[in-house]
Amino acid sequence: MKSQDPYYIDFPARIKSIQAEMDKEGLDVYLGSRLRTLSWTLDAFCPWRSYVVIPREGMPVAFTFVIDAARVGDDSWLDEDNIRGYAPMGGQDQVAQISDYIIEDLLAGKGRIGYETGLSNYLPEGNLTQYEYEAFKAALPEATFINAHFIVDQLSLIKDEGTINRFREASRQVDAGHKAVYEAIIDGGFKKLTETEVAGIASLAMRKEGSEWEWSFTGGNEIASGYRTGYTGGACTPPGRRKLAAGEPLMVDLHAMFKLGLGDHSVNYLLSPVSDRQWWHANNFVNIVKKTHQTYRAGITPSGLAAEMLSYADEQGFADYMVPGFEHGIGMMGDEWRIGKHDGPMPYWTDPFHVYQENEMLICAMQYACAEDGIGFRYEAPIVIKENGMELLPKHPLEIIEIK
Amino acid sequence: MSGKPRYLSPEWKEQVEALLKSELTPEKMNHITSSMSNIYVNCPDGKNHYMFFGFVNGKLDRFLVNEGEAPQAEFKITGDYDTFAKISRAEMNAQVGLMSGKLKLKGNMVKALKLASIADRLNKVIAKVEAEF
Repeated sequence: MKSQDPYYIDFPARIKSIQAEMDKEGLDVYLGSRLRTLSWTLDAFCPWRSYVVIPREGMPVAFTFVIDAARVGDDSWLDEDNIRGYAPMGGQDQVAQISDYIIEDLLAGKGRIGYETGLSNYLPEGNLTQYEYEAFKAALPEATFINAHFIVDQLSLIKDEGTINRFREASRQVDAGHKAVYEAIIDGGFKKLTETEVAGIASLAMRKEGSEWEWSFTGGNEIASGYRTGYTGGACTPPGRRKLAAGEPLMVDLHAMFKLGLGDHSVNYLLSPVSDRQWWHANNFVNIVKKTHQTYRAGITPSGLAAEMLSYADEQGFADYMVPGFEHGIGMMGDEWRIGKHDGPMPYWTDPFHVYQENEMLICAMQYACAEDGIGFRYEAPIVIKENGMELLPKHPLEIIEIK
Repeated sequence: MSGKPRYLSPEWKEQVEALLKSELTPEKMNHITSSMSNIYVNCPDGKNHYMFFGFVNGKLDRFLVNEGEAPQAEFKITGDYDTFAKISRAEMNAQVGLMSGKLKLKGNMVKALKLASIADRLNKVIAKVEAEF
């Protein structure tokens, strides 16, 4: 089975790797609550508040809202009995169920419990809340709680082949979404469309290819037209009801999900007629994206790359329009934004000195914005870091396309 | 003397068992194989009591009413005597008891959901046996 399925991931091995780290840290139980941890350990999308309890030996048990527990059990590699539903009933709420499980099945309520807390700019991160923490401490008064998210963070940094293949497939689906958008806007088709309609056209095309949803919490497919492409410092544009118009830019940033692997790719258009000034901005942007692509390889750091690219932008006279960041982290659903192991100088933000390694994945993410000209471009694309370069997962050509 | 058996007494248990066997066919019980213990705490006599149901292919295989520790069961519901008494008099729905936290359920919630309507049928039959509380 392992060799036949390109999307195969050895989840039991992942659990064993967590348990080996737990052993080193002297943890008896790992209580995961972050979406990234749930995806990485369960192989199931957990949209409701969920938890995974990993003992030092043996199989994990996951807890999710009862209305979704059977589906999570069906999707996950774990047996049905290892996925439990919690509900607002006596003895069945999440704290009662998990603490009872820990008391009865694991360590009689004593020992060291690793849990996940921290800071995040990503809303669905899923750190344990203060209320949950206090409730678990009250239910397990003899246990010691230790923040241990670093175990999953370091283990999930380098991607295995099954994970990368899932991302490749999600990128293929996004390419299909871009093709559908292109076909809808050419030959004046854009004149009948709004940003939300563009998002929907892409969604339908990607779902036809098997995408499960437009996973980004930033609004699914992000579409911006006209001045909305050029928000100062902006790189977040849930689609609005704005009608596409001639003479304006259009930014299409699509998100597909395949088996928790994520597609995230932006394509930019100029809706004819296009002014010389617009082309100047467009060429600046394409040039710096190309240069960034050529720079990625194992051994570089986010801060080194940013310094080199901003220096180039300054030489070319468009540094004022570049948002000074060139990538964000990515992993299975829920693992977004931060790069590195979260041990950099700014806690829980990208470590600027993180040294990229082979088979790390990133979203190459660049935003160009000139608010005074009402124009901006976004580039996002999943990449796999290689020893001497990178693999670009989307196949859509890098260009800014004029739509006549 | 009202002639009614005392709740949880051997006479009451005998009447309930006969009624359960006659009214709850394997079809009505969805041919389930499962077990459930109701654990009564804060009872008038100061002891803990239990009521145990064991179904095999929808047939009531074991029905035990006693004091002390209940046999192992797939589901365990714990609550005050008064709460269970209200359910057995059809004055309270077991779901309400659970959702208000007056009853505490242990066992796989997903499987319990499949059995919720069956437990309701069980309680309705039990409520038909008039008892002294």
